[in-house]
Amino acid sequence: MKQSLSRGALLGALLSPVAAIAAGDADLATLRAEVAAMQRQYESRIRALESRLSDAEQAADAARQAAGADALSLPLTAPRVLRAQSQAAAPAPAGSRSAGLFDAVTSANAFNPQIAVILDGNFYQDDSDDGNGAALVGAAFQAGGGGHAHDHGDDGHDHGDGGHAHATAENGFNFREAELSFTATVDPYFDAATYISIDGDGNVNLEEAYFQTRALPYGLRVKGGKFLSDFGYINRQHPHAWDFVDQNLPYLNLLGFHGLQDTGLQLTWLPDLPFYALIGGEALQGNQEVFGATLGDTDQDELNLGSTNTGPRLFTAFAKIAPELGRNQALQLGVSYAHAEQHQASHTHTHAVHEGDHDEEHGHEHDDHGHDHDHGVTEIVHETGLAGNADLWGIDLVYKYDGGGAYGQGDFTFQTEYLRSIKDLTVRSSAHPEQIGSGRTFTTDGLYAQATYGFLPKWKAGLRYDVLGLTNEVSGGRSASFGSSDRWTADITWNLSEFSQLRAQYAYNDILVAEDERERFNAFYLQFLVSLGSHGAHEF
Amino acid sequence: MKRCFMGALAWLLLAAPVLALDVVATSPSMGALVRAVAPDATLTVLAGPDRDLHALQAKPSMISALRGADLIVAVGAELEVGWLPAASASAANPAILPGREGYFEAAAQVPLLDAGGAADRAMGDVHPAGNPHVDLDPVRMAQVAEALGERMARLDPGNAASYRNNAERLSAAVAERVPDWQGRLAGAPGVVLYHRDAVYLLDRFDVPLLGTIEAVPGVPPSGRHLRELTAKLRGQDGVIIHAPYQSPKAPQKLARDLGWPVATLPLSPPVDADGDGYLRHIERWVAAIAAAR
Repeated sequence: MKQSLSRGALLGALLSPVAAIAAGDADLATLRAEVAAMQRQYESRIRALESRLSDAEQAADAARQAAGADALSLPLTAPRVLRAQSQAAAPAPAGSRSAGLFDAVTSANAFNPQIAVILDGNFYQDDSDDGNGAALVGAAFQAGGGGHAHDHGDDGHDHGDGGHAHATAENGFNFREAELSFTATVDPYFDAATYISIDGDGNVNLEEAYFQTRALPYGLRVKGGKFLSDFGYINRQHPHAWDFVDQNLPYLNLLGFHGLQDTGLQLTWLPDLPFYALIGGEALQGNQEVFGATLGDTDQDELNLGSTNTGPRLFTAFAKIAPELGRNQALQLGVSYAHAEQHQASHTHTHAVHEGDHDEEHGHEHDDHGHDHDHGVTEIVHETGLAGNADLWGIDLVYKYDGGGAYGQGDFTFQTEYLRSIKDLTVRSSAHPEQIGSGRTFTTDGLYAQATYGFLPKWKAGLRYDVLGLTNEVSGGRSASFGSSDRWTADITWNLSEFSQLRAQYAYNDILVAEDERERFNAFYLQFLVSLGSHGAHEF
Repeated sequence: MKRCFMGALAWLLLAAPVLALDVVATSPSMGALVRAVAPDATLTVLAGPDRDLHALQAKPSMISALRGADLIVAVGAELEVGWLPAASASAANPAILPGREGYFEAAAQVPLLDAGGAADRAMGDVHPAGNPHVDLDPVRMAQVAEALGERMARLDPGNAASYRNNAERLSAAVAERVPDWQGRLAGAPGVVLYHRDAVYLLDRFDVPLLGTIEAVPGVPPSGRHLRELTAKLRGQDGVIIHAPYQSPKAPQKLARDLGWPVATLPLSPPVDADGDGYLRHIERWVAAIAAAR
């Protein structure tokens, strides 16, 4: 820099006397400008020459190293170096440089999206009465009725949305899903991703397909399309990223198998602070299988629930904060809220009717949720239609410690979330006309806490406790409180490499399957997860 | 209260003109370069020398550091592929995304070794773009420092001369030390590494790489591989060097079987290292390799 400046000055000094003689004052300025322009031009040429020279030196240097050193530094194994030896001299370094100075050196395909396929299968065994334990854990009894998994009896309700079948594990071999993911930068303005899952029966489900902005100022980002909400912590993780084979009880029962996954828009703001804080909100269509459930047209007519409102019907807000704890550990706290403007449910209950005398044996109002009266001779099934809105609150805490051992040895994680669902519904139709118009508030909460520890290189152990229904009650026109379901889970995960893992998991389940009926059973999983293609991201 | 506010305002106004570059370095060796080239920059180093840069997880603190950064200085060539793209995308800071002036990869500035291998993961966690561990070659690092100086000059033209001078100073310091290192390493019997993470240093000083403890990258060694290695190296001289986050068991066993010294050396200098700290770090490696004789 200094050198070229002095060269320019010399040039200027040589030229300026000539200019002074040849021209008057008026031309002087023009000439000076020309001289200055020449000076700049020369400077840039000299710089270009210097850089070409240094490039040439580097290339020669590389060639020298490649020719001289590689023969000596060949390892005994790892044949890759043989190729490097033949290529290091010319094309390989040139190729690596062609990435451009601002770019990342990468083996990702130039314009194709990064593609990965994750295969997720298991062997499952439980000793529940009907061998359907994996379905039971997703249908634990809730005051307000569960979602898709809730048994509506024989009359088979059609859910307006999200009510498709998905395979829960059966005893024996199960292929849970093949997840295809495609991610790429679209242009300077957007990134985009698509995640498609195909289950063992060949059912295709679009898990996520969204764009996300990359160039907005002030720490703002907008995501649009179908995506997993940033509500809570575990919600946005795909099943293969979980520390356990299956989802925890609160998420599984209050949000369903897919969690809070919907179509809409998300706005997040990451303020420029000395610590991490993220605030965001989402407006979503409301096609949520459990929390935002609306019923199908037929049911809506029969039960006088009214039709499905236009969207968006589901809104979320969340804030996450992480204090600065240094390089090797991280703590994140979050609070989340979701509101479904429209929630519809149909609850069935049975009445025992004495033979010959058709007086209904009304128990109490809490027999809303069908249970058998022993003296019953015949049973009448009554269906109640309820409509209203639903709120979901969530608190999450995640702590991670990077132990620094080989292949994850010494790593520790702790994560816990509390969810509370409050459904404010009104009876729209009932066999008991006096109840129509009366309100019902159904409250069910749940929490899970789990920890993992890398006890050996590549080996990780996990322990989880999850419970649904610490509060499990209905209030308003009728009041009742029900029990809870809980589970202890332990697992061991063997990460053979970055791209494959095997897991064994045992759980003791104590599930409230109906108002006064429990099933206690053991469940055992052996799972494999393999990842083909692009290197996965180690998201927090 | 009002005075306090006015004071704060005055402080802000006074502080504003001396805004230094806000730089985030992924590893301490990149941090050392930044300190050497821009001693006044605000610097955050994301990982310590005792952690595997390839295995890190994106953490909220990283995202927060990247949020306001003017420049990210990465080793690159997919070394940080698991977490840096995730963290920088979440940081909502367009200035530091790849392809922008605020994104700097050391590996993109110099020729790479081990490039062009088959993209076959039967050979482990391979990265066909090239071996990313350029930071142990002082000569390449000097080139990287000069490129970094140019980049900083673009980002902060006001201090351009200072960045270039500092980079040249580091370059000169490296050039001054190289003959000494060369002399001490001439004829060194060679090194067994755990992973091919120091090949740039060995290559620079013509030190033979006698083998790697892991047969393929990212996969722990089998007993058979270790036996073969022992059989091949028995009777020779050498030294075994592994990083702190690599399991010491296999290196120690091999060292016992061969009667070789074994050293645990980080790939990066201490977190607070500057240019001199980086040179001392290379000095440690040179001493360990030279000690094999």
